[in-house]
Amino acid sequence: MKFVDEYRDAGLARALGTKIAALAEPGRHYKIMEVCGGHTHTIYKHGIEDHLPETVELVHGPGCPVCVIPMGRVDDGITIARRDNVIFTCFGDMMRVPGGDGSLLDAKAQGADVRFVYSPLDALKIARNNPDKDVVFYAIGFETTAPSTALTLMRAKAEGLKNFSVMCNHVTIVPPLKALLESPDLRLDAFIGPGHVSTVVGCRPYEFIPKDYGQPVVVAGFEPLDLLQAILMLMTQLADGRAEIENQYARAVPWEGNTRALEVMQEVFRLRPYFEWRGLGFISQSALSLTDDYADFDAELRFDVPGVRVADPKACQCGEVLKGVIKPWECKVFGTACTPETPIGTCMVSSEGACAAYYNFGRFARSKARAGA
Amino acid sequence: MTPSELPLVDPNSYGAVCAVVDGCLTCGDVAVPVTVVEGGDPDALCEDEHGQRGNVAVELVSPVRAGERLLVHGGVAISRIEEGT
Repeated sequence: MKFVDEYRDAGLARALGTKIAALAEPGRHYKIMEVCGGHTHTIYKHGIEDHLPETVELVHGPGCPVCVIPMGRVDDGITIARRDNVIFTCFGDMMRVPGGDGSLLDAKAQGADVRFVYSPLDALKIARNNPDKDVVFYAIGFETTAPSTALTLMRAKAEGLKNFSVMCNHVTIVPPLKALLESPDLRLDAFIGPGHVSTVVGCRPYEFIPKDYGQPVVVAGFEPLDLLQAILMLMTQLADGRAEIENQYARAVPWEGNTRALEVMQEVFRLRPYFEWRGLGFISQSALSLTDDYADFDAELRFDVPGVRVADPKACQCGEVLKGVIKPWECKVFGTACTPETPIGTCMVSSEGACAAYYNFGRFARSKARAGA
Repeated sequence: MTPSELPLVDPNSYGAVCAVVDGCLTCGDVAVPVTVVEGGDPDALCEDEHGQRGNVAVELVSPVRAGERLLVHGGVAISRIEEGT
């Protein structure tokens, strides 16, 4: 398929790997963070690390929307879902995220009307078709997903729908990056910027990384050659002593982003003063809530929610995984008590979570490598 | 991959062209490349790589014409794919 097949050529991948290895300075260890969970998924699925020298380490970042949802917000959603007369809608993986008292899937099994949708516009359809029910959409995601929620709310308002509301958990990408760069326990050399978030926000929001922290950023696509080329571009910058933003994914990411998408987000959302991120704690101005013009559609205002903070399970080390401090397999419960079938932590739920991606694709290669060592 | 291996998605939903095998794309930063079959506004008929057709909200990238390539996330087109860039 066009735009897919040409980015999966094994010969070109090997050639890129050779070029990357040639740029690696002897004795230097490189740590490159891929911010986005989609990139983490590609890295493990296509074995990108096999094409890199051992001194180039990929560190997995916090850009998995499901993974950063704190347990308290899951419990808040479940509280709404359990109300009479409510149809609670959310994306697929979100249904399996454990809260303090089970998941949305558990609530569904116990009788709550919880349905998964691929689009908030489908939740809106459910609201139109069930005028006697309160339909709630549990919105998660970064700037890739926020425009679809905003567009849905604008359509709901234009139609005058009274039985539709959104529990907004949308987060923004720049504040956690700043938090990571300020983190004393993580030393990084460069960033692979998120591709689809950038189709919306463009490349400018990352300017502070080279300017204030002296580290290069390359916005990358999601095919194997996209990632390898982005790593080559970063290694070239590091070899030249440059720190700039470059756009490897120019076929989909305009430098200025999607201005119309940014306008609809501006119309519907405003920044929350602070928001809790799993593993990263409270980060100021890092999440979105609805503006006053859309207050009638705010599920948190329409329904009582406990708003209680729930501590993560002691055994779970998702926080360290999300910050790139430990690798998935270094977690105490990885692959034993915590698996994709019975996840303890969020990183094992979503296919973009580093633990799930590693469990599904990476662990066999690792055990094979260890056996051969 | 054959269409029978894809997750079951309601053909009348905005998710019709958004089926992926590796998990829930809307829970992540995943966008699906599609081709516009028939232009429209606010929705246009599009086709994904598996030949699945469905409506996509195109307000954020409109106007769109048949044959153009779009990236879709959660039933909403968020970008165009430009050849040669």
